[in-house]
Amino acid sequence: MCKRLLLLLLLLPVQMLLTQNVQAALHVTIIQGLGGIPLFDVSFNDQRHKIREASESMTDAALVSIFSGDDVSRESLLAHFATLAERMSEEDRAAIFLIGHGSYDGEQYKFNIPGVDITDTDLTDIMDSLPGQNHFLVNTSSSSGVILESLENDQHIIITATRNGNEKNATEFGNFFAESLASDTADINKNNIVSIQEAFDFAERGVTEFFESQGKLATEHAQIRGNGAASFSLSRLGGLETFNEDPRINTLLSQRLELDSDIEALQLRRNEYTNADYIQRLQALILESAQVSEQIDELSEGSELELESEVDVD
Amino acid sequence: MLTRSTFQHLPPKFVLAATLLVAVFSQSLSARDHPYRALDNEELAECDAFYWKGQSIDATACYNNLYTSAQPAHIRAEALWAQDNLQGANSQFQQAINDFPENPMVRVRWGELFMETFQFQEAYTLFSEALELDPNNSWAHIGAASSLAEGGDPEVLNQHLSQVMDEGLAPHGARLRAMMMAVRSLLRQDLYQEAESSLEEAFEFAEDNNLPTMELKVLRAAHAFMTRQDHQAWIDAALEESPNYGDAWFILGYHATIIRRYKEAVEFFEQAVALQPTHWEAHINLGQNLLRLNAINDAIEHVNTSFEGNAFNPMTVNLLRLLDTFNDDFVTDSYPNPPEGPLPELILRLHEDERNILKHYASRLSQESIDLYKERYRFETKEPIIVEIYPNHEDFIVRSIGMPGVGLLGVTFGYLFAMDSPSGHTEPRYHWGTTLWHEMAHVFTLEATSHFVPRWFSEGVSVFEEWRTGPIPGRKIPTEVLRAMSEDKFLPISLLDDGFMRPDYQGQVIVSYMQAGLVFDFIDLEYGFDKIVDMLYQFNEGTTPVEAIEKSLGISDKDFDRHFKQFIDIEYGPLLGRLDVWMEDMQTSYQALQEEKFEEAIAAAERAAFTYPDYVEIDSPYIVMARAYSTLENKEEEFRAVETFWQKGGYLPSALLSLADFYLERDMKAEAEAVLVDVSYADPFLEDLHIKLGDLYMDTQQPANALIEYEVLLALNPLDKASANYRIANAYNALDNADKTMEYLMTALDIAPQYRPAQQLLLELSRTQN
Repeated sequence: MCKRLLLLLLLLPVQMLLTQNVQAALHVTIIQGLGGIPLFDVSFNDQRHKIREASESMTDAALVSIFSGDDVSRESLLAHFATLAERMSEEDRAAIFLIGHGSYDGEQYKFNIPGVDITDTDLTDIMDSLPGQNHFLVNTSSSSGVILESLENDQHIIITATRNGNEKNATEFGNFFAESLASDTADINKNNIVSIQEAFDFAERGVTEFFESQGKLATEHAQIRGNGAASFSLSRLGGLETFNEDPRINTLLSQRLELDSDIEALQLRRNEYTNADYIQRLQALILESAQVSEQIDELSEGSELELESEVDVD
Repeated sequence: MLTRSTFQHLPPKFVLAATLLVAVFSQSLSARDHPYRALDNEELAECDAFYWKGQSIDATACYNNLYTSAQPAHIRAEALWAQDNLQGANSQFQQAINDFPENPMVRVRWGELFMETFQFQEAYTLFSEALELDPNNSWAHIGAASSLAEGGDPEVLNQHLSQVMDEGLAPHGARLRAMMMAVRSLLRQDLYQEAESSLEEAFEFAEDNNLPTMELKVLRAAHAFMTRQDHQAWIDAALEESPNYGDAWFILGYHATIIRRYKEAVEFFEQAVALQPTHWEAHINLGQNLLRLNAINDAIEHVNTSFEGNAFNPMTVNLLRLLDTFNDDFVTDSYPNPPEGPLPELILRLHEDERNILKHYASRLSQESIDLYKERYRFETKEPIIVEIYPNHEDFIVRSIGMPGVGLLGVTFGYLFAMDSPSGHTEPRYHWGTTLWHEMAHVFTLEATSHFVPRWFSEGVSVFEEWRTGPIPGRKIPTEVLRAMSEDKFLPISLLDDGFMRPDYQGQVIVSYMQAGLVFDFIDLEYGFDKIVDMLYQFNEGTTPVEAIEKSLGISDKDFDRHFKQFIDIEYGPLLGRLDVWMEDMQTSYQALQEEKFEEAIAAAERAAFTYPDYVEIDSPYIVMARAYSTLENKEEEFRAVETFWQKGGYLPSALLSLADFYLERDMKAEAEAVLVDVSYADPFLEDLHIKLGDLYMDTQQPANALIEYEVLLALNPLDKASANYRIANAYNALDNADKTMEYLMTALDIAPQYRPAQQLLLELSRTQN
């Protein structure tokens, strides 16, 4: 159950948690295109592994579909998304990762895979076919920016590695984006979750610093479109517990969720207070939350000790 | 950014830390120069006579009378030009070209007008057109040579000059102008004896032919000033001949800047603008030299005045752009604060954007170098030393010499020096700490000798100090210099200045820097450091370098050269004999690394390191070894390679950061700290550096130092601001500063309310309070 619940917990503001349907699921599709040369193959493999690992921290492994090497073809991908569209509910979310090279001839964008390439029209059709909204697609390829023309709308969150179709050089963005999914640095709000926005910010800065360090003009400028990127989680870094078999811990977890919700509400109303008043209120809430966390830790340690001693007795 | 000239034949760029010792550009015309009878028009000559005798009212009336339809257009142009109406003069010259298309002098004079508006390419085109009409026109040759002096091909320039000098048929005025041009060139090159002879010859020629001599007198004054003789009598004589002649002081000021006598230059330019308030070139030069003396607001005033008078000068426009936001962009910090005496010892002027990143390191390094140099050179500073660091290289160059496009890293004007920030250089080769150390040495050699130190000496001491006492000690000789050494291209000590001032081949300037550094290494090892200081102070007495060697070392310059050669042979002979083999091994190692033949890369790199163990530039063989061992997952050997690289003075930040990790893994905290401090003098803009160093300081109970590192981290505007603020809170907590601890802790928690370590600190603090 946990991962399904977790997805929703991470998708929505804390305050809404108690009233929402908890059956939503995250469906991840990772598509690795052609590298062309070993250097890119190695890099794309690495990105794929990182994204897979991150995705499996967020959803059941069975909901993570991977297409790479000989598995990738336009037919297999279209078939996969057709099935996915049937399987998904309105509440479910899809996250699609395109790792590879792209091209743009002035009229059509193509994501390079073995055989017939996937086009911008295909991607639009895929996104349109998915039930519900707020799905996520990241395209790390060269020329990927051009797909924004057809895909950009309020319904989905889209990230591209380039500003338009004319940024044709092989990109660095994918490396940094994949890296962000396991990075404490990317986790700006320290909630042990890397959101789409955090991953994008991390990768965008990484690309900028990369080109600066090389003394080169940047040949790619990543873009993000759509709403809700800060509340769509891509990776769990560990440690965030939302449910426990021990009812005492479970009560405390609920209590902490409420406190987190209060903190978020306070932050939204920040302008209503003087700075000193705001900090005082924030401090009180966080202190309370910290105390609850401490109690959870103590009870968890106690449970573990109990468990260990039971094992010892056996 | 405007450039001085559109000519493409600029001198080869060189990238060096350097004091500004020569003006890069030749002297431009200040206003309408004396025509030296270039024009055959009696009425104009009469007006010019009034003008040059200082009879301004008569001159104005005379020029006004000339501006009639009875006069040809080019004479009307001269009348307008003489009254500073450049646009009107330009229109009249255009008309004159139509009226007299076959008259080369119309084009020559129009070209001279273009020269005054700094449009040298256009001027050269007009002179060339005049020469097409009359290939023997000496005025056109002089004009062409003058325009080429602003960055054109020196060979072509000389051809034009020799057409005037060698042909006996040249008009006397043109010949005199050519002679004066040669004198100016000799003075610029410090060839004073030759300049004196040429001046005498020119005087004789001018008097024989009844030509004006005020400009010659001023050049004689410049010569006197540059050779420590009385210049005033010559200035007086020039002003007696032409009482309103602002150039009398301007030309003197210009030559004072050539020999780095900036204070005197300011005085001379001030005299120039007092005498001739419309001398816009004097205003801009005054502005620039006031900048060199740290009189920023006065400088801005004169730059503005210059722009209002002549908006054509690219130097004026560049400085105006820089100064427009200068006081807002740059922030000063004084050290010590508060000062121990009436003035601080050190002032840092840093760009607002990076002040909080650089100020700690720049102040620490500056203070260390000041303390060291005071003791070593037995010199107490009399003014605050001002260090300016520019994130934009072209801003730094404009601030230094007015025009962009020169590859310097630092320039010292005396108590003030300006240099590039590491943020202005993306390549890892730039070590800003060494540049600062180098320039600070210039402050002492310049000020200890009232700016009389020869260039080679000042540069040599600075390079020597880089190697001996700088942040990354050890000789660092570039490959091209080794090659020059193997080809025996080092100059005799008596001619070493030529290597800086009159390089014969591309790269000779850097070769001269290294030679000068080695000279002092040699003197220090052979005769002792005190001899270097003794020699330095002799320059106050007007001693020549050769005399200084004889007096301090007790040997002739010839013997010195012989001993120095022996020193080089001992130090570098074995390497130079195997230079080709070394280069081949270097190449092999890199190629093998690229082809992923790691064992082969290591073997070749080891051979290269054996031949030249001290080579620690960014392409050092130790780096090849480290990379290869890293790929082979041989951590111990990778560690050894990077450690050797660092111990020999290597400073590639990425390599040093990995070395720090190796040390930390081995619990070698002191070594890790030393390595990380070294990285800060190479690239303080690395977030990782400050996290590692700050955490290490916390681990070794140095919270005050940790706080500095964490504050720099925050100034870098990191993505992860929560942890940066949390680290600062931790450091303050260790320093028992409860208010600051809570301030930064709550900032961290405001960004990241669920940040557990920060929450735990909050809990601890709340329990302590209770």
